[in-house]
Amino acid sequence: MNVVELKNVTKRFDQFIAVKDLSLEVRQGSIFGLLGPNGAGKTTSIRMIVNIFAPDDGDVLVMGKQVSPELQPMVGYLPEERGLYKKMKIADQLVFFANLKGVDSGDASRRVDDWLERLELSDWKNKKPTDLSKGMQQKVQFIGSIIHNPEVMILDEPFSGLDPVSVDLLKSVILDLKNQGKTIIFSTHQMEQVEQMCDDICLINHGRQVLSGGLREVKRRYGKNTVILDYEGTDAFLAFDLIKQHKRFANYSEILLNEGADAQEVLKRALESGARVNRFELVEPSLNEIFIETVTGSKNKAQVAEAIR
Amino acid sequence: MKKVWVIIKREYLVRVRTRAFAIGTIISPLLLLGLVVLPGFLAERGGGGEKNITVLDQSGDPKLFEGIKSRLESTGSRSGEDPGEGFGGSTRFNLSQQVLTPEQNPQDLIKNQSGSAGKNDPDRSFLVLGPSVLDNSPPEYHAKNLSDFSIRTLGGAVSAAISERKLMRAGFDASKISQYMKPVSLKSFKIGAGGESTEGGMRQDFMIAFALLLFLYMSVLFYGIFVMRGVIEEKQSRIVEVVISSVRPTQMMLGKVIGIGLVGLTQIGIWALSAGLLSMFGAKMVMAQGGRMPSIPVNLLIYFVLFFVLGFFLYATLYAMVGSTVSSEEDAQQAQMPVTLLLVVPMMIFGLVMSNPSSNASIVLSMVPFFAPTLMMLRIAVINPPAWQVILSMLIMLVTILGFVWLSAKIYRVGILMYGKRPNLAELGRWLRYN
Repeated sequence: MNVVELKNVTKRFDQFIAVKDLSLEVRQGSIFGLLGPNGAGKTTSIRMIVNIFAPDDGDVLVMGKQVSPELQPMVGYLPEERGLYKKMKIADQLVFFANLKGVDSGDASRRVDDWLERLELSDWKNKKPTDLSKGMQQKVQFIGSIIHNPEVMILDEPFSGLDPVSVDLLKSVILDLKNQGKTIIFSTHQMEQVEQMCDDICLINHGRQVLSGGLREVKRRYGKNTVILDYEGTDAFLAFDLIKQHKRFANYSEILLNEGADAQEVLKRALESGARVNRFELVEPSLNEIFIETVTGSKNKAQVAEAIR
Repeated sequence: MKKVWVIIKREYLVRVRTRAFAIGTIISPLLLLGLVVLPGFLAERGGGGEKNITVLDQSGDPKLFEGIKSRLESTGSRSGEDPGEGFGGSTRFNLSQQVLTPEQNPQDLIKNQSGSAGKNDPDRSFLVLGPSVLDNSPPEYHAKNLSDFSIRTLGGAVSAAISERKLMRAGFDASKISQYMKPVSLKSFKIGAGGESTEGGMRQDFMIAFALLLFLYMSVLFYGIFVMRGVIEEKQSRIVEVVISSVRPTQMMLGKVIGIGLVGLTQIGIWALSAGLLSMFGAKMVMAQGGRMPSIPVNLLIYFVLFFVLGFFLYATLYAMVGSTVSSEEDAQQAQMPVTLLLVVPMMIFGLVMSNPSSNASIVLSMVPFFAPTLMMLRIAVINPPAWQVILSMLIMLVTILGFVWLSAKIYRVGILMYGKRPNLAELGRWLRYN
């Protein structure tokens, strides 16, 4: 079942089209990565799912129904721009957020206690946000967005500003929620995290979908077109027509091949040039590569489209 | 609506629990009371309390000086009798006489004594009673400070003493003169709604009306700004987006306005209750000691609460709208000006309405929804305007409030998610059309 579904959704602000004819489906129990460069329309799309904006065209469905205030308790939202009331105790704020989603106060304070303990914040229960570090505030905000036990959780850059220990803790919580059958929509620029956690992804640019599908499938679609080469010698041999892009790192090079190019040709040229090859590996491109290529590619396409018009 | 209630509860509790609320509730009536009472009080007690006057007497009538002296020395006890006249009543006068021949020039003496020679008593002032002071040439007062309320007392005493001496000279019986010269005071009665007259003073009416006006203005302004700052705080702390993923922006705005309005009502309720208790018990106590204290009629307090609610709602929605369009307190300072101005205008023209509360201009002004809370309240305190006027002004306000709630809600829901540059009017107009 699709927990969240967008059908040909368009959203305009004056002349500016923030989201154009966007369709996507989020399966129940999956972690869905909503990706895209800054200003691509991610936040606008999310705001339509949480019923902050209404679409100008198309349908936004949550749990199979048109999104409405009644469905808001089913959704939890951690925006990228988030904050806490400065002059309110942590526990009081969290109870307030739960109340807003229709959880009554007694039930809410029990849940607050549980969650504070789970995220190692029990000692801060009666403190105000000004007494907390930024990372602790982040964790409190995370609790605030899921305290009402929603079916769908939308997390926009949930790990920003967190130390590695807290990131691990939060990841395990998110995976736990997934195992309970909850659905998570995850928006971030950290592609490694997407590769680690997401089942499906949707990449949007200029308000349009440019890439979507299961993470494995998307990567397979690009094929093994990347060569990892660890060599000693000059890189002069790499300047030839089969290579689209070449990134030199401290200990190795990442080489993106042109379509239809044979990886063996790279090895041959390297050996011919007299370089010593320590490692030669043919791999799938990283999501980071796919992201950059798709976005810059679609930008060019958009420019072309603009020029034709 | 349950969600609005959750917002109201938070807004209310967060504010009522603060120390600032407790202090404000206690301090501001004292402050305002001071604002109304203090200038008069200071003028009465002030001026150093003691005044040294040299009387340069050329009148040739020794009884005249004595008459002035005895009158001035008894004014201290007289002031309690009539607070309306009592400015300067408690200054202590020290009079010393210096008899001059008609040929001497009093100017020379004044120059000598107040120049370098008068250093040990620089504030000494002079009363010149010229040779023909009993024949229509006026007495003169020379002093460094002429903006002193005690001069009125001095003038009254001199005038009375001169009149007495004149009557004496004309052959009137000394015992009858003081009886005839007793000042007559006007007793004033206020005609109430039912046509009945009750004793009251102009000064008392004025004080009550002015105090109510000031309280209303301050409360609406204060709590209106409170709403604006609340909105800005939620914007700045980026908490809005979390909240409006749970409630509609309009509900959030209404919850905030109602919650803060209830804080205001709580405060005003405490004030009204203590004012009522003070009128009932305090006034009796003050009266028992010979003093006078204005008591505020209960119906005025009820009107006060009504006009506060209406005025607050009108201005709070406007302030909420302003708050939603700005990103910082600095921007807010500018953006709120038009709204605050609407509130200040009646404070600048209230004199017009107070002195002529039944004129057409006053009636029209008190119907303008932005002015009605203050000016209609003022008219009610001063006269009893026809009921239809009061009801009409309230209805006009209600309709205006509904209009502005609609408008503010439209601006608010867009504004709270916008950061950066302050929108201009054209942009605001476009916001109204967003889905």
